[in-house]
Amino acid sequence: MKYVTDMKAAAGKTVAVDDTILVKGVPATAGSKMLESFVPLFDAEAVTRLQSAGYTVSGKSNVGEFGLDVMGETSYFGPVTGENGSLRGAAAALVADGDADFALCTDLDGAPRRAAAAENIVFIKPTYGTVSRYGVIPCACSGEQIGVMAKTAAGAAELLSVIAGHDDKDGTSLPEKHYDYTASADVSGLRVGVCADYCGRASQETAEKVRAAAASLGVCEDVSDGRLMLARPAWRILLAGETCNNLSRYDGVKFGFRAEGYKNIDELYTMSRTQAFTLLTKMTILYGSDVLSKGRYDTCYDRSLRVRRVLRNAADELFGKYDVLAMPGCSKTAYTAEELGDSIDAVYAESLFTAFASILGLPAVTVGGIQLVADSMNDELLLSAAAALERR
Amino acid sequence: MNYETVIGLEVHVELATESKIFCSCSAKYGAEQNDSVCPACCGMPGMLPVTNKHVVDLGIMAGLLTNCRINRVTTFDKKSYYYPDLPCSYQITQWFSPICVDGGVEIETSQGKKIIGLKQIHMEEDAGKLVHDDWTDTSLVDFNRTSVPLCEIVSKPDLRSVEEVIAYLERLRTLLRFARVSNCRWEEGSMRCDVNLSIRPEGSTELGVRTEMKNMNSLSAIARAIEYEQARHIDALERGTEVLVQETRRWDDVKGQSFAMRNKETAADYRYFPDPNLVPIIIDDEWFDRVKSEMPELPEVKAARYVGELGLTEKDAETLTASRAMCDVFEAAYPLCGSAKDTASWLIGDCMGMLRKKKLTADDIAIDPVKLAEIIKMVTAGEINRNAGRRVLAAVMDEDADPRAYCEKHGLAAQNDEGAILEVVKKAIAANEKSVQDYKNGRTKAMQAIFGSIMKELRGNGDPQTIQRLLKEELDK
Amino acid sequence: MDREKLIPLEKLNQLALTEEETERVLAAFAAMEAEEAQLAETDTSAVERMVFNIPLKNILREDAAEKNFTRDQLQEGAPEKMDGYWQVPRLVE
Repeated sequence: MKYVTDMKAAAGKTVAVDDTILVKGVPATAGSKMLESFVPLFDAEAVTRLQSAGYTVSGKSNVGEFGLDVMGETSYFGPVTGENGSLRGAAAALVADGDADFALCTDLDGAPRRAAAAENIVFIKPTYGTVSRYGVIPCACSGEQIGVMAKTAAGAAELLSVIAGHDDKDGTSLPEKHYDYTASADVSGLRVGVCADYCGRASQETAEKVRAAAASLGVCEDVSDGRLMLARPAWRILLAGETCNNLSRYDGVKFGFRAEGYKNIDELYTMSRTQAFTLLTKMTILYGSDVLSKGRYDTCYDRSLRVRRVLRNAADELFGKYDVLAMPGCSKTAYTAEELGDSIDAVYAESLFTAFASILGLPAVTVGGIQLVADSMNDELLLSAAAALERR
Repeated sequence: MNYETVIGLEVHVELATESKIFCSCSAKYGAEQNDSVCPACCGMPGMLPVTNKHVVDLGIMAGLLTNCRINRVTTFDKKSYYYPDLPCSYQITQWFSPICVDGGVEIETSQGKKIIGLKQIHMEEDAGKLVHDDWTDTSLVDFNRTSVPLCEIVSKPDLRSVEEVIAYLERLRTLLRFARVSNCRWEEGSMRCDVNLSIRPEGSTELGVRTEMKNMNSLSAIARAIEYEQARHIDALERGTEVLVQETRRWDDVKGQSFAMRNKETAADYRYFPDPNLVPIIIDDEWFDRVKSEMPELPEVKAARYVGELGLTEKDAETLTASRAMCDVFEAAYPLCGSAKDTASWLIGDCMGMLRKKKLTADDIAIDPVKLAEIIKMVTAGEINRNAGRRVLAAVMDEDADPRAYCEKHGLAAQNDEGAILEVVKKAIAANEKSVQDYKNGRTKAMQAIFGSIMKELRGNGDPQTIQRLLKEELDK
Repeated sequence: MDREKLIPLEKLNQLALTEEETERVLAAFAAMEAEEAQLAETDTSAVERMVFNIPLKNILREDAAEKNFTRDQLQEGAPEKMDGYWQVPRLVE
């Protein structure tokens, strides 16, 4: 089936845009007190593209501070919770409830993948470099990506086809001018690898869901590769180092929050940053600074850049044998704010499942509460597999 | 005891580009505060850096001029520290793989020739500027200079004296200006210098405690600062006036003293790491060769050629080669008019004089060499006289006038027809009876008045010698 | 990481943690450092570092200046400004 993305087809369709993505003239807070008053002067490239294709930005969706958390619970504006008290990602809730047809979300450390799993809808984090990051409030530029939240895989394919494509304003944008993910690929006899190491670390219910899905997709077998367990610590180090650096621009001088009562520039900086950031953000900054420091750079940051290569080599081997890897996207699909606390431990625990795709910029899709990961540039295959799971 | 001073320099030059290194804001000096600024320049999130190609060209050129090896794979890194003139609290620079390494610059001092080694040259973005306001007791931030491209040229600790430092800086400035890498204007901050200095007993091979001095923006300030630091270090070593520590000091040129900069407790850890937004730059042979082919003939080589091949005087050759712009006009114009000497004379005598009157320098010359050659040809051929030639030159320099059209419009063509001049002479004699009488009475000066009226009639275009001759003949008849 | 090392780290990053926050951050560091051991055990001597997830090189733009934003727009949300400048407490050099 071919989805048309001309103005007529798009007319009336609404898109919620995460508050980490800039829409000109509309406050972009990134869920932080620091940016409560920040009004961007330009549109993110993805926003420009969807608007010129006839889609309407219907609002900004709440995110956890800078998108670093489990699914939005650290937002300065408070978390979104369902009737039963469990957490909901704002963008995922808007799409699941039918308040928006789609959402654009920044996937930095898996938050939208987890939120989509909780709502049992679809989120795709596309191959790194296919969607411009121009207009994303940056944290970990080497892996973060704009992705699409939709009720169905077909919907995700429709909007992703609109926003993907080369952009001169992003120096890491791949050269392909346009992508069309709407033609469905043949997924019969798909070779599926089930990541046993990750399944073993998720709830039994989640692990069973992964195995059942994999079995229904095609030929599946368990794979165990110790290297995959390196993704979490390595991505944590790269993410923290880059985030520490990117968040250093928020200092109370040029825009955003400035504390009161400072006596000199250092107090202005320290009071503004200390009062504006949540503990998860502070911890990320401090860890990032530590792994980049003189004494630790070689054993932490540089080593993680090399481990990324080790993981890439592992991906080459795995995707030589399997078309997609099936794994949990999160340990479970329902969280309460109380159990997450300050989110520090929970984020670290949950990133076990999302770090592999994040550190390598691989396309990953959440569907039916599980995660499928394919090799770079196989987004179309991934979306077709997701669609096949929906039909199951 | 005798001491030896060991000096290494870090020279920053702003590169001569239209736009900034990572965004498209203008890089020109002198805009109103915060006028050449975009969201990226004031630290706002969302824009991504994309490297200006011309910056890399100029980086390669800087390396070629200083005999460096060009790193064919070069990358950018991020350096973090907080200061209000650094809007993102990080600077994009080159730490792991700078564009140029291992070079050398030859200098000449009273001690003879010497090569000063270069450790590396790297590309980076400049910071903004702070203005201190006494009324409000605040500091004011201007981001115009943020992200203006820089090359930092890092020497080895090969310099031993103020004389060598000055010779090195002047040589660098000449090379960079001649190749149009930078305009190197100390007064505009497009050339700046940090001095690393230590003292050791003569003959020692170990280095002493090193201090770094920042904030120097003229050769005289650098010379004074070095002399001050030398004395301070020697006092500390000999008389124990203080304990030397490795530190960064600020030179106060008004007070003539250096001061330790505060903020020592957070001993800087810049936390360098590769910038994930800027993919590697790979300089292939084609790129390298193109920049190499654009490398200018160096001034001393040019000057020798102007003397040896073109017959200019050494003084004229030196005057011309002090400015790349002059050389460019000269080399384009002299083959068209056929005389290198005449072209040099017009450029040095007339063009430079006109520029000086407007308080401009030789580098500011803006004249179409074809038009300059045309004027020289017209004068040489006697179509206009030299005075008229100067008028045309002024019009060409001021408003890019067409020389021939200008001459016609203003009737500047030289009057070379003797018959016609004679007519005017006769008319003038008839009209100035009194002066003619005075002349005949022995007051030869009276001839000047008649001459003046003839020139006026000819609108300055007659050949003075012809007029003099004809007038005298007529009067003496 | 320990309390003593954390203080200069906070200073370097312009942050000031409370006692309670310090405890939490130290615990988080401990958990992450424990897992760093896995990285240390991995032999990476023969592999090159991988900074980018894309095979791109020489992404460059032509040297042309543009002006798309005004000073007033950029300073609209400035916490403090004066005469077209951003304003901060006086810096002592």
